[in-house]
Amino acid sequence: MIAPEVTLTHLNRADGSATYTHIGYSIIGAVNGPIEVQRRDEQPEDATIEVNVRPAVGVGSPKERHLETLLHNTLRSIILTRLIPRTLVQITLQIRSLPEEDDSTGVNTSLTILPHLLHTALLALLSASIPLRTILTSVLIAVPSSASPNTSSTPLLSPTANELLRAKPVRSIHVFAFSGDRKLLLNESDGTFSYAEWAEACEKAEEVCCGEEEEGGVKLDEGESMELDGQVQEESLEKWLRGVVRRKVEWEQRWKSAT
Amino acid sequence: MATLATLVLPGDEIPHGALPKGTGKKKTLTLGPGLRHIPPNTVATTVAGALATDDKKNAALVDYNSGRYLPFVGDLVIATVNGSAAENFNCLLTPNTSPATLPHLAFEGATKKTRPQLPPNSLVYCRIASAGRDLPPELTCVDPSTGKGEGLGLLKSGMLFHISLGMARRMLAAKGGITLLDLVGAKVGFEVTVGRNGLVHIDGGNVKTTLAIGRAIQEVDQGAFGDERQKKLAADVLKNL
Repeated sequence: MIAPEVTLTHLNRADGSATYTHIGYSIIGAVNGPIEVQRRDEQPEDATIEVNVRPAVGVGSPKERHLETLLHNTLRSIILTRLIPRTLVQITLQIRSLPEEDDSTGVNTSLTILPHLLHTALLALLSASIPLRTILTSVLIAVPSSASPNTSSTPLLSPTANELLRAKPVRSIHVFAFSGDRKLLLNESDGTFSYAEWAEACEKAEEVCCGEEEEGGVKLDEGESMELDGQVQEESLEKWLRGVVRRKVEWEQRWKSAT
Repeated sequence: MATLATLVLPGDEIPHGALPKGTGKKKTLTLGPGLRHIPPNTVATTVAGALATDDKKNAALVDYNSGRYLPFVGDLVIATVNGSAAENFNCLLTPNTSPATLPHLAFEGATKKTRPQLPPNSLVYCRIASAGRDLPPELTCVDPSTGKGEGLGLLKSGMLFHISLGMARRMLAAKGGITLLDLVGAKVGFEVTVGRNGLVHIDGGNVKTTLAIGRAIQEVDQGAFGDERQKKLAADVLKNL
């Protein structure tokens, strides 16, 4: 899987921002907060979260409202709203470009973009230093229909729009989001699937998001465990996120070593 | 920097070995911004950044340089007066946040008869007296023990410049300081006021000096200049004045 490209804190006037580009999807995210909240939205003991999703072309439609609801509910569970009561955290996500084949894949397009929106929102929140309970990683899994009804086809991990088009007809697609402590935060599925298929997809998604489950004890040196037995393990999304944050910290602390 | 500090993401639990040992005088562990205590004895992070620990003060914090300024008690800030109410001025520390209160009587020599008159948009250098999450922050311009201003109060003339929060912390740090200001200050006189909320106020007597110094500080901030490059920049600034 290709790691997504990220630029952090590049917008001047927002408190936190991120541009995220992955397999043809490009999204700009901006976070303002904690700021003053309108009286009618004020909650005495919680921060109010506002999510705005803007499509690449045209104005928002029910599809965007649906995505906003999903994002709002997921992000509310990772933002420590109790620490910043009576404030507003405003998250704006502008979809910049979609892959050309996005419309013709025959699957629910609000599900294919959901993992990317979640990642952008999280990165912008990290950039704005909003207090978070944990991190979040998300992945899309597509199960194509197999040639014969008896054999199950291999699920596609985070497929590109082109791959989805070639795998047509796709029987079911699933979006999973996991927290840093491997808890399932969000699951949206579409299509026909059995419980066994869902469980398999969920397990696979967890592996992609959080890395392989370690057997007892905490891994100490993350860097060296990457190449066991000479073969490079596939990088999990959590490792990718750590890489992004490492670059952010190095950028922020470069004055300490500058001449 | 020879070794990269420990990198933390939100939700990471800090192992007990990484926390200060408490060998100094202070026995209780102090948790700074970015860390939270989950009873009974778990310490977890809430922001992404580098973990910094201080064994002497028995304190741990997460060092980060992004996002909006959050008020903490004791911070020196530059506040903008937004309006005046019955007993206090409403001041803004950052745009679009709920206003902080600055009592009329929290100025040096102010009495009920002689209240200071501050028009909207005037700048005040003040200290944060209280900052709970359930109340708007309260500001003060006097030292509560002596009743003196100690340099706090209205900022006249000059100009305001925006800098990053990390740069403001760096300029206000007890040691270190900015070489640029020492070098330029040896040749031209100017006044510099640093607010923890990412603002710096420069009064150089004339517009040219004010702008030159303000721009130079912003350049040091954006380019993360070390001593050598600051010296070069200071020479450039002096040449053009």
